[in-house]
Amino acid sequence: MKKLLWKLLRKHLSVPQLVGFALANLIGLAIVILAVQFYQDVKPVFNDEESFISKDYLIVSKSISTSGALMGGTSEFSEDDIADIEKQKWCRSVGRFTSGDYSIVATIAVDGEGGRSMYTQLFFESIPTQYIDVDNAQWRFDPNNPYVPVIISRDYLSLYNFGFASTQGLPQISEGMASSVKLRFRLKGNGQEEFIDGRVVGFSNRLNTILVPDEFMQWSNERFGSGQTIPPSRLVVEVNRPGDVVIDKYMEEHGYEIAGDKGSSNKAYFFLTIIISIVIVVGILISLLSFFVLMLSIYLLLQKNTKKLQDLLLLGYSPAQVSRTYINTVIAINAGVLIAAIALMLAARAYYLPMLRAMGTDGGTLWAALVVALVIMAAITVGNIIAIKRKVMSLWHQ
Amino acid sequence: MEKIQLTNTLPHVFAGREDTGSDVWLRELTFERGKRYLIAAESGTGKSSLCSYIYGYRIDYSGKIAFDGRNINTLSVAEWCDIRCRHIAYLAQDMRLFPELTALENIQLKNGITHHKSETEIRAMFERLGIPEKLNQPVALLSIGQQQRVAVIRTLCQPCDFILLDEPVSHLDSANNAIVAAMVTEEADRQGAGVISTSVGNNVAIEVDRTLNL
Repeated sequence: MKKLLWKLLRKHLSVPQLVGFALANLIGLAIVILAVQFYQDVKPVFNDEESFISKDYLIVSKSISTSGALMGGTSEFSEDDIADIEKQKWCRSVGRFTSGDYSIVATIAVDGEGGRSMYTQLFFESIPTQYIDVDNAQWRFDPNNPYVPVIISRDYLSLYNFGFASTQGLPQISEGMASSVKLRFRLKGNGQEEFIDGRVVGFSNRLNTILVPDEFMQWSNERFGSGQTIPPSRLVVEVNRPGDVVIDKYMEEHGYEIAGDKGSSNKAYFFLTIIISIVIVVGILISLLSFFVLMLSIYLLLQKNTKKLQDLLLLGYSPAQVSRTYINTVIAINAGVLIAAIALMLAARAYYLPMLRAMGTDGGTLWAALVVALVIMAAITVGNIIAIKRKVMSLWHQ
Repeated sequence: MEKIQLTNTLPHVFAGREDTGSDVWLRELTFERGKRYLIAAESGTGKSSLCSYIYGYRIDYSGKIAFDGRNINTLSVAEWCDIRCRHIAYLAQDMRLFPELTALENIQLKNGITHHKSETEIRAMFERLGIPEKLNQPVALLSIGQQQRVAVIRTLCQPCDFILLDEPVSHLDSANNAIVAAMVTEEADRQGAGVISTSVGNNVAIEVDRTLNL
């Protein structure tokens, strides 16, 4: 019977029209979900959430100018400088970077214990623990059981991987590997020398330094340091509103620099968001237009088959039974378009993902794009079904 | 369904007429199950309209039509579908066959939802009406008279309380008229159904309990 109904009702079903709809809808849907997916994938590149230091904390240093360096100008902050910053309305608190006042050599076992090893001179800095957002269990120092956790700048790893390792034939190191490598530090000063083990516990984009816990810094400076207090060359400033122009103006006037300033990156992100929004709107428009193409095609079809549909209703077929033929067709087409659009999106993604990998991200989740695809398709399908049912119902009375 | 009651029914096109001289319009009239009625009419007196009102696909009338006391305006779509499948068998004047389907497919389209006749019974009816060789021919290729016979067969392929026939034999000769009459009578007897038949002159040859002038 279904076969008979299909035989009867498929007449006037315009294949070119349906193909046109399917293609238009495919393009629209693929554009929308590709844009959503691309946004998801690219977001981590910009949004690299800095987990160690809150956005409300600015790291401030003095700019070093050629003339300043030659004139013996200092890049250190005086107590007056600090007091002036603290007086500003936008400033909540100021923390000082403390430098290690002794010599440090780090040894890294490249081929495991006892094998080849690399060593380098280093420096340490610390900031008060309150400014660091890291697991307290990891970020501590116990003098009885000396072991140093370290946060290093992500730039150092990039420098090594892309600048050094690739040209010197050394292995490239991932963040995970770097974290598992054991470090051994030789601390020397004040007539004393000691070896202490350590490990990298994290990488930071904004802290352009080698950071150790404040507890360790105090302990080691007492032990190996000269006893002099060195004025800090960097400050961590807690502010009310990080993006405030007043802060930028103040910094500029005083010749200070904010480290890891993401101004340009934020602009790029802003434009990315706008462009993706435009693309999504265009995609939705195309989908919407294709929806109307299908609507029109169905209306035309039902119009041409009006007499048949009415005759079927007179035979005792319910409007639901009569509609089902068309509804099933629409569902089949839409399901096909949905699958094809997702396949297109995945293919395009496979094409651009390697480029993103080079920028250090594996891309975001697929869920958002899949949910968007499903929701759009469900909305279109429901719209189609309602229209078909209404149209068939309108034929009830002749 | 035992009764079809018409109360002061009048097509909108006849609105304003005081007395139509009709036995149907603007009267109190009841069709009872098991009885046979002939509605004799001239063209343009609303014979097909009457059928379409009773079958529920036109509502351009005033007054009231009721099935067992229930105003048919209040019937839901689902109830109408049930009525069209199991209570009223209807043969439209224009037959409403699907020309691109074969004669058998046309019958199957109805019998497929009612499951009333076996294929053997359907073939026997074709045989009886003298068109067994037309079984698998597209209806478009049949003559009007042959189409009318196919339409009669389709009408009889359902359980019913009333058989509503709108000029069922207008294109048939007297021999075929007699066969149709016999088949309708047999089916009506089997089911205890009432028969309401309209005609503009060429009456279906069944004995009627009452003839009404439209």
